[in-house]
Amino acid sequence: MRYVIAGYIFVLGLLALYAVALVWRRRRLVRAVARVTGPDVAVVVVGGNGSPGASTVAGAPVSTGATTPQAEAS
Amino acid sequence: MTHDLTTTPLEGPAAAHPYSGAATNTRVSPPPSPSTTARRTEHIIGLLALVGTAATVWLGIWVTPPDKVQGDLVRLVYIHPGVAWVALYLAFGLAAVSTLLYLWPRTRSLFWDRLAAAAVEVGVIFNICTLVSGSIWGKPTWGVWWAWDARLTSTAVLLVLFLGYMALRRVPAEPEVRARRSAFVALFAAIDIPIIHFSVDWWNTLHQGATVLNANLSPTIHGSMAWTLLLGFVALTLVFVWMLLVRYRIGAIEDWLAANELDLALAERQAEGVAASRVASDPGPAGGSPTDRVGVA
Amino acid sequence: MWRDAALVAGKDLRIEGRSRVALSQVAPFGIVALVLFAFALGPDRETMAKGAPGLFWVAVLFCTVLAIQRSVSVESSDGARDGLRLSGIDPAGLYLGKAVAVAAQLIVLEALLAVGVVLLYGAHIEVPWMIAVSCLLGTIGLAATGTLYGALSSGLRVRETLLPFLLLPIAAPVLLAGTRIWQAAMAGGTPSDGTQWLRLLVVFDAVYLAVGVVLFGPIQETA
Repeated sequence: MRYVIAGYIFVLGLLALYAVALVWRRRRLVRAVARVTGPDVAVVVVGGNGSPGASTVAGAPVSTGATTPQAEAS
Repeated sequence: MTHDLTTTPLEGPAAAHPYSGAATNTRVSPPPSPSTTARRTEHIIGLLALVGTAATVWLGIWVTPPDKVQGDLVRLVYIHPGVAWVALYLAFGLAAVSTLLYLWPRTRSLFWDRLAAAAVEVGVIFNICTLVSGSIWGKPTWGVWWAWDARLTSTAVLLVLFLGYMALRRVPAEPEVRARRSAFVALFAAIDIPIIHFSVDWWNTLHQGATVLNANLSPTIHGSMAWTLLLGFVALTLVFVWMLLVRYRIGAIEDWLAANELDLALAERQAEGVAASRVASDPGPAGGSPTDRVGVA
Repeated sequence: MWRDAALVAGKDLRIEGRSRVALSQVAPFGIVALVLFAFALGPDRETMAKGAPGLFWVAVLFCTVLAIQRSVSVESSDGARDGLRLSGIDPAGLYLGKAVAVAAQLIVLEALLAVGVVLLYGAHIEVPWMIAVSCLLGTIGLAATGTLYGALSSGLRVRETLLPFLLLPIAAPVLLAGTRIWQAAMAGGTPSDGTQWLRLLVVFDAVYLAVGVVLFGPIQETA
Protein backbone atom coordinates (compact mmCIF):
# COMPACT_ATOMS: atom_id res chain seq x y z
CA MET A 1 0.00 0.00 0.00
CA ARG A 2 2.86 2.31 0.67
CA TYR A 3 3.86 1.90 -2.98
CA VAL A 4 0.44 3.20 -3.92
CA ILE A 5 0.74 6.19 -1.66
CA ALA A 6 4.24 6.93 -2.92
CA GLY A 7 3.02 6.74 -6.50
CA TYR A 8 0.09 9.05 -5.91
CA ILE A 9 2.19 11.54 -3.99
CA PHE A 10 4.80 11.68 -6.73
CA VAL A 11 2.39 12.06 -9.63
CA LEU A 12 0.04 14.51 -7.96
CA GLY A 13 2.92 16.38 -6.41
CA LEU A 14 4.74 16.80 -9.70
CA LEU A 15 1.58 17.89 -11.48
CA ALA A 16 0.77 20.35 -8.70
CA LEU A 17 4.29 21.78 -8.69
CA TYR A 18 4.24 22.21 -12.44
CA ALA A 19 0.82 23.83 -12.32
CA VAL A 20 2.02 26.31 -9.71
CA ALA A 21 5.14 27.00 -11.77
CA LEU A 22 3.02 27.69 -14.86
CA VAL A 23 0.74 30.08 -13.05
CA TRP A 24 3.69 31.87 -11.50
CA ARG A 25 5.47 32.21 -14.84
CA ARG A 26 2.37 33.58 -16.48
CA ARG A 27 1.75 36.06 -13.70
CA ARG A 28 5.31 37.31 -13.91
CA LEU A 29 5.07 37.74 -17.67
CA VAL A 30 1.73 39.52 -17.49
CA ARG A 31 3.17 41.90 -14.95
CA ALA A 32 6.12 42.52 -17.25
CA VAL A 33 3.78 43.36 -20.08
CA ALA A 34 1.74 45.67 -17.88
CA ARG A 35 4.86 47.41 -16.72
CA VAL A 36 6.04 48.19 -20.21
CA THR A 37 2.68 49.23 -21.61
CA GLY A 38 1.42 50.95 -18.49
CA PRO A 39 0.39 54.57 -18.07
CA ASP A 40 3.82 56.12 -17.71
CA VAL A 41 5.45 54.70 -20.76
CA ALA A 42 5.25 56.50 -24.06
CA VAL A 43 4.06 53.53 -26.00
CA VAL A 44 1.12 53.55 -28.31
CA VAL A 45 -0.49 50.22 -28.86
CA VAL A 46 -1.70 49.96 -32.41
CA GLY A 47 -4.29 47.57 -33.63
CA GLY A 48 -6.44 45.34 -31.56
CA ASN A 49 -9.58 47.43 -31.40
CA GLY A 50 -8.79 49.33 -34.54
CA SER A 51 -8.21 52.85 -33.33
CA PRO A 52 -4.55 53.66 -32.83
CA GLY A 53 -5.26 55.40 -29.57
CA ALA A 54 -4.13 58.73 -28.33
CA SER A 55 -0.56 59.79 -28.68
CA THR A 56 0.90 60.10 -25.26
CA VAL A 57 2.65 62.63 -23.24
CA ALA A 58 4.64 61.13 -20.44
CA GLY A 59 2.60 61.11 -17.31
CA ALA A 60 -0.77 60.82 -18.96
CA PRO A 61 -2.33 57.38 -19.06
CA VAL A 62 -2.53 55.66 -22.40
CA SER A 63 -6.17 55.23 -23.13
CA THR A 64 -6.58 52.39 -25.54
CA GLY A 65 -8.67 49.43 -24.73
CA ALA A 66 -6.00 46.96 -25.59
CA THR A 67 -3.55 48.14 -23.02
CA THR A 68 -5.53 47.68 -19.85
CA PRO A 69 -3.02 46.19 -17.49
CA GLN A 70 -3.85 42.63 -16.80
CA ALA A 71 -2.67 42.26 -13.29
CA GLU A 72 -5.41 39.83 -12.48
CA ALA A 73 -5.39 38.01 -15.76
CA SER A 74 -5.92 34.37 -15.13
CA MET B 1 -4.55 35.70 -32.26
CA THR B 2 -2.97 36.78 -35.48
CA HIS B 3 -1.28 39.96 -34.51
CA ASP B 4 1.60 41.10 -36.54
CA LEU B 5 4.70 41.56 -34.52
CA THR B 6 6.31 44.25 -36.60
CA THR B 7 6.48 47.75 -35.29
CA THR B 8 6.61 50.96 -37.23
CA PRO B 9 8.91 53.71 -36.09
CA LEU B 10 7.80 57.15 -35.12
CA GLU B 11 5.29 58.34 -37.63
CA GLY B 12 1.77 59.58 -37.83
CA PRO B 13 -0.09 61.65 -35.31
CA ALA B 14 2.70 61.99 -32.84
CA ALA B 15 2.47 64.92 -30.53
CA ALA B 16 5.71 66.82 -30.33
CA HIS B 17 6.85 66.41 -26.81
CA PRO B 18 6.89 69.71 -24.91
CA TYR B 19 10.14 68.98 -23.13
CA SER B 20 12.32 67.10 -25.49
CA GLY B 21 11.01 68.62 -28.64
CA ALA B 22 10.73 65.24 -30.29
CA ALA B 23 7.90 62.84 -30.69
CA THR B 24 8.09 60.09 -28.17
CA ASN B 25 5.61 57.63 -29.47
CA THR B 26 6.58 54.10 -30.25
CA ARG B 27 4.00 51.99 -31.92
CA VAL B 28 3.68 48.43 -30.82
CA SER B 29 1.12 45.82 -31.68
CA PRO B 30 -1.07 44.76 -28.81
CA PRO B 31 0.22 42.24 -26.34
CA PRO B 32 -1.59 38.93 -26.45
CA SER B 33 -4.54 39.04 -24.12
CA PRO B 34 -7.22 36.41 -23.79
CA SER B 35 -10.83 37.30 -24.26
CA THR B 36 -13.20 36.97 -21.33
CA THR B 37 -14.70 33.80 -22.74
CA ALA B 38 -11.26 32.30 -23.15
CA ARG B 39 -10.43 33.19 -19.59
CA ARG B 40 -13.67 31.77 -18.30
CA THR B 41 -13.22 28.54 -20.27
CA GLU B 42 -9.77 28.14 -18.84
CA HIS B 43 -11.08 28.63 -15.32
CA ILE B 44 -13.84 26.13 -15.83
CA ILE B 45 -11.49 23.54 -17.26
CA GLY B 46 -9.08 24.10 -14.43
CA LEU B 47 -11.82 23.70 -11.86
CA LEU B 48 -13.16 20.54 -13.47
CA ALA B 49 -9.65 19.15 -13.69
CA LEU B 50 -9.07 19.80 -10.02
CA VAL B 51 -12.39 18.33 -8.94
CA GLY B 52 -11.98 15.34 -11.22
CA THR B 53 -8.50 14.58 -9.98
CA ALA B 54 -9.56 14.92 -6.35
CA ALA B 55 -12.49 12.63 -7.00
CA THR B 56 -10.24 10.09 -8.70
CA VAL B 57 -7.88 10.11 -5.75
CA TRP B 58 -10.69 9.74 -3.26
CA LEU B 59 -12.34 6.94 -5.20
CA GLY B 60 -9.06 5.31 -6.04
CA ILE B 61 -7.62 5.19 -2.59
CA TRP B 62 -10.62 4.84 -0.35
CA VAL B 63 -13.80 3.86 -2.07
CA THR B 64 -12.82 1.15 -4.49
CA PRO B 65 -12.05 -2.34 -3.24
CA PRO B 66 -8.67 -3.99 -3.67
CA ASP B 67 -8.25 -6.25 -6.66
CA LYS B 68 -8.39 -10.02 -6.31
CA VAL B 69 -5.11 -10.50 -8.09
CA GLN B 70 -3.16 -7.30 -7.54
CA GLY B 71 -4.52 -6.26 -4.19
CA ASP B 72 -4.05 -2.63 -3.35
CA LEU B 73 -1.62 -2.14 -6.21
CA VAL B 74 -4.52 -1.85 -8.59
CA ARG B 75 -5.09 1.62 -7.19
CA LEU B 76 -2.11 2.83 -9.16
CA VAL B 77 -3.90 1.66 -12.26
CA TYR B 78 -6.34 4.51 -11.83
CA ILE B 79 -3.70 7.09 -12.58
CA HIS B 80 -0.93 5.34 -14.45
CA PRO B 81 -2.79 4.58 -17.71
CA GLY B 82 -4.27 8.08 -17.50
CA VAL B 83 -0.92 9.86 -17.41
CA ALA B 84 0.46 7.40 -19.96
CA TRP B 85 -2.35 8.08 -22.41
CA VAL B 86 -1.81 11.82 -22.02
CA ALA B 87 1.96 11.66 -22.41
CA LEU B 88 2.26 9.11 -25.18
CA TYR B 89 -0.80 9.78 -27.28
CA LEU B 90 -2.38 13.09 -26.43
CA ALA B 91 0.73 15.23 -25.98
CA PHE B 92 2.84 13.48 -28.56
CA GLY B 93 -0.03 13.26 -31.04
CA LEU B 94 -0.91 16.90 -30.61
CA ALA B 95 2.72 17.94 -31.02
CA ALA B 96 3.04 15.81 -34.16
CA VAL B 97 -0.16 17.14 -35.72
CA SER B 98 0.69 20.73 -34.83
CA THR B 99 4.15 20.32 -36.31
CA LEU B 100 2.70 18.98 -39.54
CA LEU B 101 0.21 21.84 -39.68
CA TYR B 102 3.05 24.27 -39.20
CA LEU B 103 5.15 22.69 -41.94
CA TRP B 104 2.23 22.55 -44.38
CA PRO B 105 2.41 25.84 -46.28
CA ARG B 106 -1.31 26.42 -46.41
CA THR B 107 -1.79 26.21 -42.66
CA ARG B 108 1.53 27.64 -41.60
CA SER B 109 1.17 29.87 -38.57
CA LEU B 110 3.24 30.40 -35.48
CA PHE B 111 0.17 29.34 -33.53
CA TRP B 112 0.84 25.71 -34.41
CA ASP B 113 4.48 26.02 -33.52
CA ARG B 114 3.65 27.44 -30.11
CA LEU B 115 1.00 24.81 -29.56
CA ALA B 116 3.48 22.07 -30.36
CA ALA B 117 6.02 23.54 -27.96
CA ALA B 118 3.42 23.78 -25.20
CA ALA B 119 2.27 20.23 -25.83
CA VAL B 120 5.84 18.92 -25.66
CA GLU B 121 6.66 20.67 -22.41
CA VAL B 122 3.50 19.50 -20.67
CA GLY B 123 4.09 16.11 -22.24
CA VAL B 124 7.49 15.87 -20.57
CA ILE B 125 5.88 16.28 -17.16
CA PHE B 126 3.29 13.62 -17.87
CA ASN B 127 5.96 11.36 -19.34
CA ILE B 128 7.96 11.53 -16.13
CA CYS B 129 4.79 10.76 -14.19
CA THR B 130 4.22 7.78 -16.45
CA LEU B 131 7.67 6.35 -16.01
CA VAL B 132 7.74 6.85 -12.26
CA SER B 133 4.22 5.58 -11.58
CA GLY B 134 4.89 2.61 -13.85
CA SER B 135 8.15 1.89 -12.13
CA ILE B 136 6.56 2.10 -8.69
CA TRP B 137 3.85 -0.27 -9.82
CA GLY B 138 6.41 -2.57 -11.37
CA LYS B 139 8.58 -3.04 -8.33
CA PRO B 140 6.13 -5.03 -6.22
CA THR B 141 4.54 -6.63 -9.26
CA TRP B 142 7.54 -7.78 -11.28
CA GLY B 143 10.17 -7.37 -8.63
CA VAL B 144 12.18 -4.86 -10.63
CA TRP B 145 12.16 -1.08 -10.81
CA TRP B 146 12.65 -1.17 -14.54
CA ALA B 147 12.18 -3.59 -17.41
CA TRP B 148 13.36 -3.23 -20.94
CA ASP B 149 10.11 -4.09 -22.61
CA ALA B 150 8.94 -2.23 -25.68
CA ARG B 151 6.47 0.07 -24.00
CA LEU B 152 8.66 1.28 -21.16
CA THR B 153 11.68 1.69 -23.38
CA SER B 154 9.75 3.59 -26.04
CA THR B 155 8.37 5.86 -23.35
CA ALA B 156 11.86 6.57 -22.09
CA VAL B 157 13.12 7.26 -25.61
CA LEU B 158 10.17 9.57 -26.21
CA LEU B 159 11.12 11.48 -23.08
CA VAL B 160 14.65 11.94 -24.34
CA LEU B 161 13.39 13.08 -27.72
CA PHE B 162 11.02 15.57 -26.07
CA LEU B 163 13.88 16.93 -23.97
CA GLY B 164 16.00 17.29 -27.10
CA TYR B 165 13.21 19.27 -28.72
CA MET B 166 13.00 21.57 -25.72
CA ALA B 167 16.75 22.02 -25.64
CA LEU B 168 16.74 23.01 -29.28
CA ARG B 169 13.99 25.55 -28.68
CA ARG B 170 15.99 27.25 -25.99
CA VAL B 171 18.58 28.33 -28.55
CA PRO B 172 17.86 31.98 -29.24
CA ALA B 173 16.57 32.62 -32.73
CA GLU B 174 13.89 34.39 -34.69
CA PRO B 175 10.49 32.80 -34.05
CA GLU B 176 10.18 31.53 -37.62
CA VAL B 177 13.67 30.03 -37.66
CA ARG B 178 13.15 28.43 -34.31
CA ALA B 179 9.79 27.10 -35.40
CA ARG B 180 11.23 25.49 -38.54
CA ARG B 181 14.14 23.95 -36.74
CA SER B 182 11.93 22.52 -34.03
CA ALA B 183 9.46 21.28 -36.61
CA PHE B 184 12.13 19.31 -38.47
CA VAL B 185 13.46 17.79 -35.29
CA ALA B 186 9.93 16.86 -34.26
CA LEU B 187 9.30 15.35 -37.67
CA PHE B 188 12.42 13.18 -37.58
CA ALA B 189 11.65 12.09 -34.05
CA ALA B 190 8.08 11.21 -34.96
CA ILE B 191 9.32 9.09 -37.86
CA ASP B 192 11.70 7.25 -35.60
CA ILE B 193 9.29 6.46 -32.78
CA PRO B 194 7.49 3.60 -34.54
CA ILE B 195 10.82 2.18 -35.72
CA ILE B 196 12.20 2.28 -32.21
CA HIS B 197 9.10 0.73 -30.73
CA PHE B 198 9.19 -2.03 -33.30
CA SER B 199 12.89 -2.72 -32.79
CA VAL B 200 12.66 -2.83 -29.03
CA ASP B 201 9.73 -5.19 -29.28
CA TRP B 202 11.73 -7.55 -31.46
CA TRP B 203 14.74 -7.08 -29.30
CA ASN B 204 12.82 -8.39 -26.35
CA THR B 205 10.94 -11.26 -27.88
CA LEU B 206 13.88 -12.64 -29.80
CA HIS B 207 16.27 -12.54 -26.94
CA GLN B 208 16.59 -16.00 -25.52
CA GLY B 209 15.45 -16.25 -21.97
CA ALA B 210 13.68 -12.94 -21.70
CA THR B 211 10.58 -13.01 -19.60
CA VAL B 212 7.67 -11.59 -21.47
CA LEU B 213 6.44 -8.90 -19.16
CA ASN B 214 2.79 -8.35 -19.46
CA ALA B 215 1.43 -5.02 -18.41
CA ASN B 216 -2.16 -6.02 -18.83
CA LEU B 217 -4.73 -5.78 -16.12
CA SER B 218 -7.07 -8.58 -15.26
CA PRO B 219 -9.41 -8.76 -18.23
CA THR B 220 -12.59 -8.17 -16.30
CA ILE B 221 -12.58 -4.91 -14.42
CA HIS B 222 -16.00 -4.03 -13.26
CA GLY B 223 -18.09 -1.81 -11.16
CA SER B 224 -16.62 1.08 -9.27
CA MET B 225 -13.14 0.26 -10.50
CA ALA B 226 -14.11 0.74 -14.12
CA TRP B 227 -15.75 4.06 -13.37
CA THR B 228 -12.77 5.26 -11.38
CA LEU B 229 -10.44 4.29 -14.20
CA LEU B 230 -12.58 6.24 -16.66
CA LEU B 231 -12.73 9.21 -14.33
CA GLY B 232 -8.97 9.10 -14.02
CA PHE B 233 -8.59 9.32 -17.77
CA VAL B 234 -11.00 12.22 -18.05
CA ALA B 235 -9.60 14.14 -15.11
CA LEU B 236 -5.99 13.82 -16.27
CA THR B 237 -6.97 14.81 -19.79
CA LEU B 238 -8.56 17.95 -18.36
CA VAL B 239 -5.41 18.63 -16.37
CA PHE B 240 -3.43 18.38 -19.58
CA VAL B 241 -5.75 20.73 -21.43
CA TRP B 242 -5.59 23.32 -18.66
CA MET B 243 -1.80 23.13 -18.50
CA LEU B 244 -1.63 23.36 -22.28
CA LEU B 245 -3.70 26.55 -22.29
CA VAL B 246 -1.59 28.23 -19.63
CA ARG B 247 1.67 27.10 -21.20
CA TYR B 248 0.53 28.35 -24.59
CA ARG B 249 -0.27 31.74 -23.14
CA ILE B 250 3.16 31.87 -21.53
CA GLY B 251 4.80 31.13 -24.88
CA ALA B 252 2.75 33.79 -26.64
CA ILE B 253 3.62 36.47 -24.12
CA GLU B 254 7.29 35.53 -24.11
CA ASP B 255 7.37 35.79 -27.88
CA TRP B 256 5.66 39.16 -27.79
CA LEU B 257 8.11 40.51 -25.23
CA ALA B 258 11.05 39.18 -27.18
CA ALA B 259 9.82 40.58 -30.47
CA ASN B 260 9.14 44.01 -29.08
CA GLU B 261 11.80 44.28 -26.48
CA LEU B 262 13.89 46.77 -28.35
CA ASP B 263 11.00 49.12 -28.93
CA LEU B 264 9.74 48.71 -25.40
CA ALA B 265 13.16 49.40 -23.97
CA LEU B 266 13.47 52.50 -26.13
CA ALA B 267 10.10 53.71 -24.99
CA GLU B 268 11.08 53.17 -21.39
CA ARG B 269 14.31 55.09 -21.80
CA GLN B 270 12.44 57.92 -23.45
CA ALA B 271 9.90 58.00 -20.66
CA GLU B 272 12.69 58.08 -18.12
CA GLY B 273 14.39 60.92 -19.95
CA VAL B 274 11.17 62.85 -20.11
CA ALA B 275 10.41 62.31 -16.46
CA ALA B 276 13.91 63.35 -15.50
CA SER B 277 13.70 66.55 -17.51
CA ARG B 278 10.26 67.19 -16.08
CA VAL B 279 11.56 66.84 -12.56
CA ALA B 280 14.50 69.09 -13.37
CA SER B 281 12.37 71.90 -14.79
CA ASP B 282 9.50 71.57 -12.39
CA PRO B 283 10.51 70.62 -8.86
CA GLY B 284 7.81 69.14 -6.76
CA PRO B 285 6.06 65.81 -6.42
CA ALA B 286 6.13 64.26 -9.81
CA GLY B 287 3.71 61.56 -10.60
CA GLY B 288 4.87 58.05 -11.20
CA SER B 289 8.45 58.55 -12.19
CA PRO B 290 9.68 55.51 -13.98
CA THR B 291 13.31 56.10 -13.17
CA ASP B 292 13.31 53.28 -10.69
CA ARG B 293 11.68 51.01 -13.19
CA VAL B 294 13.29 47.68 -13.72
CA GLY B 295 14.01 46.75 -17.32
CA VAL B 296 11.79 44.70 -19.51
CA ALA B 297 11.54 41.13 -18.33
CA MET C 1 21.92 15.33 -58.38
CA TRP C 2 24.35 12.42 -58.65
CA ARG C 3 27.00 14.55 -60.24
CA ASP C 4 26.70 17.12 -57.47
CA ALA C 5 26.82 14.37 -54.90
CA ALA C 6 30.02 13.03 -56.39
CA LEU C 7 31.52 16.52 -56.42
CA VAL C 8 30.70 17.14 -52.77
CA ALA C 9 31.78 13.69 -51.64
CA GLY C 10 35.04 14.11 -53.50
CA LYS C 11 35.61 17.49 -51.88
CA ASP C 12 34.97 16.22 -48.37
CA LEU C 13 37.11 13.15 -48.85
CA ARG C 14 39.90 15.17 -50.32
CA ILE C 15 39.78 17.48 -47.31
CA GLU C 16 39.95 14.45 -45.10
CA GLY C 17 42.79 13.05 -47.13
CA ARG C 18 44.79 16.21 -46.63
CA SER C 19 43.95 16.93 -43.02
CA ARG C 20 43.61 13.31 -41.90
CA VAL C 21 41.45 14.25 -38.94
CA ALA C 22 39.36 11.10 -39.05
CA LEU C 23 42.43 8.95 -39.23
CA SER C 24 44.51 10.73 -36.66
CA GLN C 25 41.86 11.76 -34.16
CA VAL C 26 38.64 9.85 -34.53
CA ALA C 27 40.19 6.44 -35.05
CA PRO C 28 42.40 6.67 -31.97
CA PHE C 29 39.37 7.86 -30.05
CA GLY C 30 37.57 4.70 -31.11
CA ILE C 31 40.45 2.57 -29.94
CA VAL C 32 40.54 4.43 -26.65
CA ALA C 33 36.83 3.75 -26.26
CA LEU C 34 37.41 0.03 -26.78
CA VAL C 35 40.13 0.05 -24.16
CA LEU C 36 37.94 1.92 -21.69
CA PHE C 37 35.14 -0.56 -22.23
CA ALA C 38 37.56 -3.33 -21.43
CA PHE C 39 38.46 -1.61 -18.19
CA ALA C 40 34.78 -1.17 -17.42
CA LEU C 41 33.79 -4.76 -18.05
CA GLY C 42 36.63 -6.35 -16.24
CA PRO C 43 39.29 -8.76 -17.32
CA ASP C 44 36.97 -11.75 -17.77
CA ARG C 45 37.30 -12.57 -21.45
CA GLU C 46 33.98 -14.29 -21.64
CA THR C 47 32.09 -11.21 -20.52
CA MET C 48 33.95 -9.13 -23.01
CA ALA C 49 33.35 -11.55 -25.84
CA LYS C 50 29.66 -11.52 -25.04
CA GLY C 51 29.56 -7.77 -24.88
CA ALA C 52 31.68 -7.29 -27.98
CA PRO C 53 28.84 -6.64 -30.44
CA GLY C 54 27.26 -3.96 -28.31
CA LEU C 55 30.53 -2.34 -27.43
CA PHE C 56 31.55 -2.26 -31.07
CA TRP C 57 28.39 -0.43 -32.05
CA VAL C 58 28.56 2.00 -29.16
CA ALA C 59 32.09 2.87 -30.16
CA VAL C 60 30.86 3.32 -33.74
CA LEU C 61 28.12 5.66 -32.53
CA PHE C 62 30.63 7.83 -30.68
CA CYS C 63 32.85 7.95 -33.75
CA THR C 64 29.82 8.87 -35.85
CA VAL C 65 29.13 11.89 -33.66
CA LEU C 66 32.71 13.04 -34.08
CA ALA C 67 32.67 12.42 -37.81
CA ILE C 68 29.45 14.41 -38.23
CA GLN C 69 30.80 17.28 -36.18
CA ARG C 70 33.85 17.29 -38.40
CA SER C 71 31.74 17.13 -41.54
CA VAL C 72 29.75 20.16 -40.43
CA SER C 73 32.65 22.22 -39.14
CA VAL C 74 34.55 21.82 -42.41
CA GLU C 75 32.19 24.36 -43.90
CA SER C 76 31.69 26.68 -40.98
CA SER C 77 34.47 29.09 -41.79
CA ASP C 78 34.80 31.73 -44.48
CA GLY C 79 31.17 31.54 -45.42
CA ALA C 80 31.77 28.24 -47.12
CA ARG C 81 28.27 27.07 -46.36
CA ASP C 82 26.69 30.07 -47.98
CA GLY C 83 29.04 29.61 -50.87
CA LEU C 84 27.80 26.08 -51.33
CA ARG C 85 24.21 27.19 -51.30
CA LEU C 86 24.81 30.00 -53.73
CA SER C 87 26.76 27.80 -56.08
CA GLY C 88 23.57 26.23 -57.26
CA ILE C 89 24.42 22.75 -56.11
CA ASP C 90 21.34 20.62 -55.84
CA PRO C 91 20.58 20.33 -52.09
CA ALA C 92 19.77 16.66 -52.46
CA GLY C 93 23.12 16.17 -54.13
CA LEU C 94 24.85 18.09 -51.36
CA TYR C 95 23.13 15.87 -48.82
CA LEU C 96 24.07 12.65 -50.52
CA GLY C 97 27.61 13.80 -51.12
CA LYS C 98 28.20 14.67 -47.50
CA ALA C 99 26.51 11.49 -46.34
CA VAL C 100 28.67 9.39 -48.66
CA ALA C 101 31.82 11.08 -47.42
CA VAL C 102 30.86 10.44 -43.79
CA ALA C 103 29.92 6.86 -44.64
CA ALA C 104 33.25 6.24 -46.30
CA GLN C 105 35.12 7.47 -43.25
CA LEU C 106 32.90 5.42 -40.97
CA ILE C 107 33.48 2.23 -42.96
CA VAL C 108 37.20 2.59 -42.56
CA LEU C 109 36.78 3.28 -38.85
CA GLU C 110 34.52 0.28 -38.46
CA ALA C 111 36.99 -2.01 -40.14
CA LEU C 112 39.58 -0.81 -37.68
CA LEU C 113 37.25 -1.22 -34.70
CA ALA C 114 36.14 -4.65 -35.85
CA VAL C 115 39.73 -5.83 -35.93
CA GLY C 116 40.20 -4.27 -32.52
CA VAL C 117 37.18 -6.03 -31.12
CA VAL C 118 38.27 -9.40 -32.44
CA LEU C 119 41.75 -8.97 -31.07
CA LEU C 120 41.01 -7.28 -27.78
CA TYR C 121 37.81 -9.00 -26.75
CA GLY C 122 38.36 -12.38 -28.27
CA ALA C 123 35.19 -12.24 -30.32
CA HIS C 124 34.67 -15.19 -32.69
CA ILE C 125 32.98 -14.32 -35.94
CA GLU C 126 31.27 -17.21 -37.69
CA VAL C 127 29.31 -15.54 -40.48
CA PRO C 128 31.55 -12.80 -41.81
CA TRP C 129 29.30 -11.71 -44.65
CA MET C 130 26.58 -10.84 -42.14
CA ILE C 131 29.03 -8.74 -40.18
CA ALA C 132 30.09 -6.92 -43.29
CA VAL C 133 26.56 -6.28 -44.52
CA SER C 134 25.42 -5.09 -41.12
CA CYS C 135 28.29 -2.66 -40.97
CA LEU C 136 27.48 -1.38 -44.43
CA LEU C 137 23.77 -0.93 -43.77
CA GLY C 138 24.36 0.49 -40.32
CA THR C 139 26.85 2.97 -41.68
CA ILE C 140 24.41 4.15 -44.31
CA GLY C 141 21.77 4.71 -41.62
CA LEU C 142 24.16 6.57 -39.35
CA ALA C 143 25.48 8.73 -42.15
CA ALA C 144 21.97 9.51 -43.38
CA THR C 145 20.61 10.59 -40.02
CA GLY C 146 23.85 12.18 -38.91
CA THR C 147 24.14 14.42 -41.94
CA LEU C 148 20.54 15.54 -41.43
CA TYR C 149 21.05 16.46 -37.81
CA GLY C 150 24.39 17.99 -38.59
CA ALA C 151 22.72 20.32 -41.03
CA LEU C 152 19.96 21.11 -38.57
CA SER C 153 22.42 22.10 -35.89
CA SER C 154 25.09 23.59 -38.11
CA GLY C 155 24.39 27.18 -37.23
CA LEU C 156 24.15 26.72 -33.52
CA ARG C 157 26.88 27.60 -31.11
CA VAL C 158 25.76 24.82 -28.81
CA ARG C 159 26.16 22.28 -31.58
CA GLU C 160 28.81 20.27 -29.75
CA THR C 161 26.51 19.41 -26.89
CA LEU C 162 23.23 19.41 -28.73
CA LEU C 163 24.10 17.21 -31.69
CA PRO C 164 24.83 14.02 -29.73
CA PHE C 165 21.73 14.54 -27.65
CA LEU C 166 19.56 14.86 -30.73
CA LEU C 167 21.22 12.26 -32.90
CA LEU C 168 21.83 9.30 -30.63
CA PRO C 169 18.23 8.49 -29.69
CA ILE C 170 17.33 8.54 -33.36
CA ALA C 171 20.23 6.23 -34.12
CA ALA C 172 19.12 3.75 -31.45
CA PRO C 173 17.56 1.31 -33.95
CA VAL C 174 20.92 1.02 -35.70
CA LEU C 175 22.52 0.15 -32.40
CA LEU C 176 19.84 -2.39 -31.59
CA ALA C 177 19.88 -3.98 -35.02
CA GLY C 178 23.65 -3.94 -35.40
CA THR C 179 24.18 -5.56 -32.03
CA ARG C 180 21.61 -8.25 -32.72
CA ILE C 181 23.06 -9.04 -36.12
CA TRP C 182 26.54 -9.32 -34.75
CA GLN C 183 25.32 -11.58 -31.98
CA ALA C 184 23.63 -13.77 -34.56
CA ALA C 185 26.80 -13.88 -36.64
CA MET C 186 29.11 -14.84 -33.82
CA ALA C 187 29.84 -18.12 -32.16
CA GLY C 188 26.77 -19.34 -30.33
CA GLY C 189 24.30 -17.23 -32.26
CA THR C 190 21.55 -18.18 -34.65
CA PRO C 191 22.16 -16.57 -38.04
CA SER C 192 18.52 -16.67 -39.00
CA ASP C 193 17.74 -14.16 -36.25
CA GLY C 194 20.05 -11.75 -37.95
CA THR C 195 18.20 -11.57 -41.23
CA GLN C 196 15.11 -9.83 -39.97
CA TRP C 197 17.25 -7.23 -38.28
CA LEU C 198 19.00 -6.69 -41.58
CA ARG C 199 15.61 -6.01 -43.09
CA LEU C 200 14.91 -3.46 -40.36
CA LEU C 201 18.17 -1.72 -41.19
CA VAL C 202 17.21 -1.58 -44.85
CA VAL C 203 13.88 0.05 -43.96
CA PHE C 204 15.58 2.50 -41.61
CA ASP C 205 18.14 3.46 -44.23
CA ALA C 206 15.55 3.86 -46.95
CA VAL C 207 13.30 6.03 -44.81
CA TYR C 208 15.98 8.41 -43.64
CA LEU C 209 17.73 8.67 -46.97
CA ALA C 210 14.41 9.60 -48.55
CA VAL C 211 13.68 12.12 -45.82
CA GLY C 212 17.12 13.61 -46.22
CA VAL C 213 16.99 13.91 -49.98
CA VAL C 214 13.63 15.63 -49.81
CA LEU C 215 14.12 17.88 -46.80
CA PHE C 216 17.78 18.83 -46.92
CA GLY C 217 17.05 21.90 -48.97
CA PRO C 218 14.49 23.38 -46.57
CA ILE C 219 16.66 22.48 -43.61
CA GLN C 220 19.60 24.36 -45.05
CA GLU C 221 17.52 27.47 -45.26
CA THR C 222 16.81 27.26 -41.57
CA ALA C 223 20.34 27.01 -40.35
